[in-house]
Amino acid sequence: MAKNKSFTSLKVSNKSINTNLSLTCMIKRQNTLMYLVLMFCLLFINPAFAQSDHSGQRRITGTYAITNATVFTQPGKSISSATIILKDGLIKAVGNDLNIPIDAQVIKGDSLFVYAGFIDVASEAGVSKPEDVKRSDDMDPSDPSNEVAGITPEREVLQYWDINNGEITNWRKAGFSIAQLVPKGEMLPGQTALVVYGDKESTNILAESTGLYAQFETARGVYPGTILGLMAKWRELYKNAQLKYEHASLFKEKGNGINRPEKDPSLEAFYKVINGQIPVVFEAEDELEIRRVLRLKKELGFDVVITGVKEGSKLAEDIKGADAKIVLSLDLPDDKASKAKMEDATEEAKKAHERVVAAYKEALSEAASFEAAGIPFAFSSKGAKNGDVFKNIQTMIENGLSEEGALAALTTNPANMLGISSYTGTVEKGKLANLVLTTDSLFSKDAKIKYVMADGYLFEYEASKSKKKNENVEDVVGKWNYTSETPGGTSKGTITFAQESGNLKGEILVDDPDGSGQVTRQLENVHYDGKELSYTFSIIVQGQEIVVNTKGTLSGNEFEGNLSIKDMGTFPFTATKEPDFNL
Amino acid sequence: MKKFTYIMLSIVLFGAKSLYAQTPKGDVLIQNATVLTVTQGTLEETDVLVEDGIIKKIGKDLSASGNIETIDATGKFLMPGIIDAHSHLALDVVNEASAPITAQVSMADVVNPFDVGIYRALAGGTTVAHGLHGSANAIGGQSITMKFRYGTSNPEDIFMKEAPRTIKFALGENPTRVHGRGKNIQPRTRMGVEAIIRNGFAEAQQYKKAWESYNSVKGKKNNTATPPTYDLRLQTLADILDGKIIIHCHSYRADEIYMLINVCRDFGVDKLVFTHVNEGFKVAPELAKYTMGASVFSDWWAYKFEVYYSTAYNAAILMENDVVTSINSDSDELIRHLYHEAAKTQRYGGLTDEQALSLITINPAKQLGIDEFVGSIEEGKQGDLVIFDHHPLSVYAVPQMTFIDGVKYFDINEDEDDQRIKVSPTEMVEPVYLKAEDERCMHGVELFMQEAAAFNHTH
Repeated sequence: MAKNKSFTSLKVSNKSINTNLSLTCMIKRQNTLMYLVLMFCLLFINPAFAQSDHSGQRRITGTYAITNATVFTQPGKSISSATIILKDGLIKAVGNDLNIPIDAQVIKGDSLFVYAGFIDVASEAGVSKPEDVKRSDDMDPSDPSNEVAGITPEREVLQYWDINNGEITNWRKAGFSIAQLVPKGEMLPGQTALVVYGDKESTNILAESTGLYAQFETARGVYPGTILGLMAKWRELYKNAQLKYEHASLFKEKGNGINRPEKDPSLEAFYKVINGQIPVVFEAEDELEIRRVLRLKKELGFDVVITGVKEGSKLAEDIKGADAKIVLSLDLPDDKASKAKMEDATEEAKKAHERVVAAYKEALSEAASFEAAGIPFAFSSKGAKNGDVFKNIQTMIENGLSEEGALAALTTNPANMLGISSYTGTVEKGKLANLVLTTDSLFSKDAKIKYVMADGYLFEYEASKSKKKNENVEDVVGKWNYTSETPGGTSKGTITFAQESGNLKGEILVDDPDGSGQVTRQLENVHYDGKELSYTFSIIVQGQEIVVNTKGTLSGNEFEGNLSIKDMGTFPFTATKEPDFNL
Repeated sequence: MKKFTYIMLSIVLFGAKSLYAQTPKGDVLIQNATVLTVTQGTLEETDVLVEDGIIKKIGKDLSASGNIETIDATGKFLMPGIIDAHSHLALDVVNEASAPITAQVSMADVVNPFDVGIYRALAGGTTVAHGLHGSANAIGGQSITMKFRYGTSNPEDIFMKEAPRTIKFALGENPTRVHGRGKNIQPRTRMGVEAIIRNGFAEAQQYKKAWESYNSVKGKKNNTATPPTYDLRLQTLADILDGKIIIHCHSYRADEIYMLINVCRDFGVDKLVFTHVNEGFKVAPELAKYTMGASVFSDWWAYKFEVYYSTAYNAAILMENDVVTSINSDSDELIRHLYHEAAKTQRYGGLTDEQALSLITINPAKQLGIDEFVGSIEEGKQGDLVIFDHHPLSVYAVPQMTFIDGVKYFDINEDEDDQRIKVSPTEMVEPVYLKAEDERCMHGVELFMQEAAAFNHTH
C-alpha cells in the first residue's frame, strides 16, 4: 500500500512538471522552430547554393570593398585614399582607382586607417585546462606517471579550445585575428596550434601541432617538483625521445631480430622537434629563465621560440647566437614605484626607491631595447589583459619603441616567426582577409578600432570618438579658494591645478588635523570631462589615512559639489577660481 | 702595412675572446704586507704580484710594469681568499625533495648571480663557495663550485670551471623525515638510508653494464641491440662509482658516518667528504684513513636530536688526528665572517694560526679538489686574495679588499649602501632588506612535510 501511495504522488508531481514544460514550450515554440530551421539549413544545404536563408543569420555577401582609406600595407608603407577589395576570405586587390565589384558590401573608409590583422604568438584565449589526473593512493611521488607530473606533450591544444569563448571576442576586438594557441598545464602541457578568429561556424584551424609548448611550471608534490628537477627531466625526456626514435627507425628498417619499441606518446611527441619540423615554444619571463632555455637548447639542439618575455634585451648576443625567437609579453609591470609615498621616508629608502623607479622605466623600454639590438620580436597575449594592449604598446612607444617596430611586432614579425608570411601579415593581394580598421593612426591616443576583419568575416565595434577632454583642461588650471562645511566647522584653503601633458594634476592646502596650521596634499585621480570635476586626496589623522573624495560641477569660475569621506558622510563644498592676471 | 696587421690581429683576438667568453683576469701588485701563505708560512713585509689572474711572484721589492695597480699594504695582512665548502648562497632552489635519490639534478641550473649575498660574502673575504643541494634526500643533486665574481648577469661566469664535479649526500633525520615520515616511502630509518644508497649504486652498476654492452655492439654489422633507456640519475651514480664525482655527505652521528665509509669502500668509492660531522671526533682515525676529510661547524649543535652529542673541540680533534678539516658556513650570514669561525678553534683546541687558517683555505680547497688552483698564496696559483687590517684571526679584523683572479671585487673604501646589481621594477621592499640570514639545508621541503611545523630547524 505504501508503495502505491508514493507512486500516486509521483504521478501527480510528474503531471505538474509536464504542464509547466508544455507552457514553456508554447512560449518558446517560435524560437525553437527558428533554431531547427537554422540547423536544417546548416546541415543539409550547402550554403553556396542556398536559394534562401530562413535564419537571416547568413551574411549577404563574402565580398567587401573598403574605399578611400589610408592603408598600411606593411610597417612603414602606406597608400592614401586606397581601396581594398576582399572576396571570400582573401584580399583580392589593394590600390587606387579600383573597380568595386557589384556584389561588394562597401565600407566607407574615409578617415579610417587599415592595417593587417594582428598575430598573437602565444594565446590562451578560449583554451581550457584539462582536468587534473587522479592520483592513486599508492602513487610514489618520486616516480609519478607522466600525466601526473605535468608531462603531456602529446596533447593537442585544439582538443581544449572553444571558438565561442568570450575571450576570443575580446582579443579579436583588440585587433587580433590569428593566434598560436598554447595549451594549459605544467612542464610540458602539449602542442600548440594556429587558428584564425573567424566565424564561429568555421573550424578556424590554420595549422595543427605548430610547436611543443614548455613552461617552468611543475606539478605539486611529485618529481619534478622544482626547476632543478624540471631541467634534469627535460634532458632525460629529450635524450630518451632521441633513443626511442633511433630504436623505432631500426625496427622499421630491419624488423628481424629487433625488439618491438614500446609505445610512448610523450616521447613520440618530441619526434617533430628532433627532426627540426617544429620548434619548442618555451615560456620564459626573466633573464635567468631565458638563460635556462638557451642552456637546454645548446645541450640538446632544438629550435626555440621564447614567449612571455618581460626582460632580456641584455642577452641580445646570446639570443642571436642561439637563433632563438623572442616573443614579448603584452603585460607590463604595475607602476607601484610612482604610487609609493616617499615624502617621509629615510634617505636610504628614497635612494632604493629611485632604483625601483629606474628599474620600472627599464622594464618599459625592454621592447625598444630589443628593437635597438636588432632582434625582431613578436607579442604574446598570455597573461595580459586585452583592454590594456594599446595602452601598453603606447607605453612601449613612449619609452623608445618605434611605431614601425610596434606594427611589425603585431604583424610581419610573428608571420615570419610562424612561417606564415606567404599568406598573412601584410595587406597585399592574395593574403588572408585579416584586417584592423581604426579611427585614427594606430598608436595615437585617440585611435579606436572600428572594424576587425578576420578570415573574411567582418566584426564592427562601437568607436565613438573619445571625448576631447583635454580641450577644456584650461577651465580647471589655476588657483581655487574653497570653503567646506564639516562637523568640525568651516574649513578653508586653496587648491591649485596644473596641466602636465594633457593630464590634470593638483594639490590642496588643508587644515592639519593633527595640529595647527595647514598641510599640502597631492590630488589623485583627477578627472574632468568638460563639466564634472572629481578628485581624491588623503590626509593622515592620528596615524590613520583617510581618503577624501570630491565631486562637483564646474561652471565658469565656480565649482560646486560635495566631499565625501568613507564612514563619515558627505559635506557641501564650494570653490571659486582666482582670476588670472595675464596682462 | 704594419698597422693593418695590427688591426687584423686585434680583430682576430677580440673575436676569439668573445667566442670563448672569458671571466675577467686582473693584474695587481700588493706591497709590503704580512703575507699569510697558509702553506709556506708567514712572510713579513712581502710583495705579491698577480698577473693575468695568476700569482706571478712573491718576494721583496717587486716591481710591476707601468699599468699595473699597486696597493700599499704596509701594516696589513694578506691571506688567500676564504673558501666555504658548504653554502646555499646564490641558489634559486635548494631542494628537489620529491625523491630519495635526485642525483640527476644540478645546482648549476639554479645559480643566481644577482644575489647581493655574494657581495656580502666578498666583504667577508670569501671568494669561493661550494653551492650544495639541500639535505632532504639520501642522494641529493650535483653541487656547483663558485668563484664569487660579482657583477655579472651570467651564472656561468660564476662557475669555477676548473673544479671537479661534486654531489650532495645526506644521512639521518632529514631524509628519513622528508621521505619516510613525510611521504611514507623508503627511507624511514637510518637503515633505510643505507639501503637507498646501496641499491642506487647497485642499480648504477647494472645501468653502466647495460650501456657498455650496447655501445660495444652498436654500429656493428647485423646489430640487433637496441638502446637502453637513458637515466640521468643512474648515469650520475655511475659517474660517482667511476671516481668522477666527489661526495659531500651531510652527517652527524658516528655510526652512520662509519656506515657510509663502509658503503663507499664496498663500491670502491674513495672521493668522499663528510659535512657537519658533529660526532666526527669519535671516528677521526677512520675519517683520516678513508676519506677526503670533514667540513664542520665551529660550535653549532643541539638544533635537533641527532646533533646533541657535539663539541667545539671537534675541528681541533679532527685536525690533530690528520683528518683534512674545514669549517663551513651553511649560512648566508656566517659566510661573511668565516675567519671568526676559524679563530674559535684557537680558543677550543689551541690550533696554531696556520692550522686555524687552513680550515677556511687550503683544506676546503682539498675537499673540493681545487687545491692546485686556490687555497694558499703560492706562485702559480690563482690570484684570490684578501687584505685584512688586522690579523684575520683577531676579533678586530675587518677585510679591506677582496680579489678573485687578480680582479678587485670588494673594497671597503668603495662600499656603497646599495650594492644590488638588479632591482625589481615593482617590489618596493625586496626580501633582501627583510632578512639577512637564511640557512637553507631543508629549504623547500615544506610541500612534502605535513608535520614540518613540528620541526623548526633548518639543517
